[in-house]
Amino acid sequence: MSKLIRSYQIIAFSTFFLLLSVFISGCESRHEDLDLSVYQYRDTKDLVKFVYDASLIIKKDGLKSMEYFRNNRKLYDTPDHYLYIYDMNGVSIYHAGMPHLEGKNLWNLTDKNGKKPHQMAIAALADKNNPHAWVHYSWWEPGKFYPVPKSSCHFKVTTPEGKVLLVGGGMNYPHEEKEFIRIIVDDAAQLIKEKGNAALSEIANPTSQYIFRDVKVFAFTPTGELLISPVMNDSLTEFKLIDCVDEMGHKPFEKALRELKNEDSVWEIFLAKNRYQRMLVKKSLYLRKTYIAGQEIYVGAITDLPQPPG
Amino acid sequence: MADDKKYEYSVNEVPPIGHLMLSAFQHVLLMVVSIGLPIIFTAQLNETPEFTASLITFSMLASGIGSIIQALRLPYLGSGYLCPNLCGPSYLSLSLSAAWIGGLPLMRGLTIVAGLIEMFLAPVIQKLKNIFPIYIVGLVVTLVGISLIQIAVTSFFGLTFQGDAIKNIDIFIGAVSLLIMVFCNVWGKGFVKTYCLIIGMFLGWILALIIIPEYWQNILSVKNSPLFAMPQFNTLLNPITFHFNLIIPLIVIAIGSTLKTFGNLLAIQKMSEPELDEVNFAPIRNGIVADGLATALSGLLGAMAVDTSSSNIGLAGATKVLSRWISVVAGAIFIVLAFFPMLTNALSNIPRPVLGASTVFSGCFMICAGLVQMLDEKWDQRKTFVVGIALFFGLSTAFLPSLYARAPKLIQTFFTDPLPTTTILAVILHQFINLDIVYRKIRKRY
Repeated sequence: MSKLIRSYQIIAFSTFFLLLSVFISGCESRHEDLDLSVYQYRDTKDLVKFVYDASLIIKKDGLKSMEYFRNNRKLYDTPDHYLYIYDMNGVSIYHAGMPHLEGKNLWNLTDKNGKKPHQMAIAALADKNNPHAWVHYSWWEPGKFYPVPKSSCHFKVTTPEGKVLLVGGGMNYPHEEKEFIRIIVDDAAQLIKEKGNAALSEIANPTSQYIFRDVKVFAFTPTGELLISPVMNDSLTEFKLIDCVDEMGHKPFEKALRELKNEDSVWEIFLAKNRYQRMLVKKSLYLRKTYIAGQEIYVGAITDLPQPPG
Repeated sequence: MADDKKYEYSVNEVPPIGHLMLSAFQHVLLMVVSIGLPIIFTAQLNETPEFTASLITFSMLASGIGSIIQALRLPYLGSGYLCPNLCGPSYLSLSLSAAWIGGLPLMRGLTIVAGLIEMFLAPVIQKLKNIFPIYIVGLVVTLVGISLIQIAVTSFFGLTFQGDAIKNIDIFIGAVSLLIMVFCNVWGKGFVKTYCLIIGMFLGWILALIIIPEYWQNILSVKNSPLFAMPQFNTLLNPITFHFNLIIPLIVIAIGSTLKTFGNLLAIQKMSEPELDEVNFAPIRNGIVADGLATALSGLLGAMAVDTSSSNIGLAGATKVLSRWISVVAGAIFIVLAFFPMLTNALSNIPRPVLGASTVFSGCFMICAGLVQMLDEKWDQRKTFVVGIALFFGLSTAFLPSLYARAPKLIQTFFTDPLPTTTILAVILHQFINLDIVYRKIRKRY
């Protein structure tokens, strides 16, 4: 009996480790080109993979693939995300969830806040800080009447026929990824470096990419003088950013500035209140150093952190 | 093996080496679930991967040592039951608050004090045995099982963060793993029945590797970890601090943790020594002392607070393998694994749905063991109201967290989780609703 048990054990373990070593040595993924490690949520990773897979089909089959997409709308309009394809002038070639948009030029279409999603997507494709060309705006769901917050990622594809297309996918009610604020803060820092003071009004413009949902890029000097406020656009009261404390009494800005003496950018976490939760909510602050007329300044934004399930 | 088949291996029996190792490994697989907790903790603090690795290592060391001392039955220390330790979620919120206020030194200080409070409470609980009649003991054990629901179900659905995507394929893997475990346990015999959890977990893992590329990638990442690494013992010299502002939540959480350990030890005692007519409080007291010591030790090491594991007790009940020496070997394996990051990494890559299935499987035994114990007694209306009211308000802490977010501060402090809230309410209600009986007894006596 004990021999039989031992044989069982040996067979079970050998099979397992054999299979494991086969998998470890042999597995490859078609998504190996994509760096998804910057995203925390599965929803976000899935959307990037979804759009990337569609872009590979278009790259291979060209305009012929539109027939495939039209015949398989259900595959490309799911409860989690949907696909669309535009040319670079804003003409909709395919929209999985809103077929009535196909053939129309949406170049100047604006959302409820005055953002122009298509123009933002084209600009994002040229942005080296934004490898998956993320844009954030407000849209609506087919058949519904209320605005829905959206985040979309995009890939630029040249078809075998030589046509350049924008392939994108959006998700409703997106999670706030740290990567989203990394992109806009790095972009804002670069813009300030290039344009100086003129960049500040562009960054503070609510229709720009630098403000979406509860996220807003702000800027301040080492003494704490606000160039763009994180909360109000016109300040009636004195607002000393560096002295501000979180719910635990910590000074995240003061700590971040200490670390920025040796770094170009820094992430800090702080705690904020939430009416619906017993525990405080963790938020993340991202700050980057840049220069305006030779003077060092800091550009930053704040976002939520993922919470454990429950 | 024991003849009467109440158990495959009784509490003091030493199984043959093969069974001992395999059973211990089966328990280690369940203990691996707890490695996720230091990862969640450090993610909330934005800490470095080095800090995370160090926290995992020391937490594993503390869990391993705790499992061994719990089972060894030393004088006044250790219950002498199969009751392994792991990083419990009981202390997660307090550890986070402590780390926020005063960093690792304060977290260490609070964990040490929490352990000392638990050690202090051990003899008190023994003295208070009259306030824990059998049906309340059953209720506590049931709630220990219920406290596994959150982590079990979120893992079963493959969820890492609140509100993230749930995939059918994850649910499929979880369901298949669970069904294999149940099938092996109900219809299996001998080896298959005893090792139902290992079989279910490995088959579930292989299924996940075959059908989900993401898990392949996770396994591939194991290659980047060093095979062997010494823990950074120099961190032991870091300061230890304490903050008196946190003393009340600390006491409440320490009481909650003590009650959980109390429930765990009651459950394993019932499984290990079913012939006992009433609770033997001496090993329970020694077990709580051991748990407190392990908690204090984890603070000293700079690890996350450790706690007795309900799911491992459920597994012991499921397999009827109750030898305490399995806990000793499982603890030793956990200590050894702490020095081998590659192996730890490989085990921590067991798909979440598979881990969830294993926790559901073992949780079933805790919940039902408690219910059977509770309803074994003659039932009356007094008990109905004690248990009913306690459950209404105790479980509401899990069902309605947003309600308690706005509740008065005093209620927020004491109505934390289902286990401590229900237990404390049941104990108070039992005394209150039986005041007339107590009064009559006193009158008779004098």
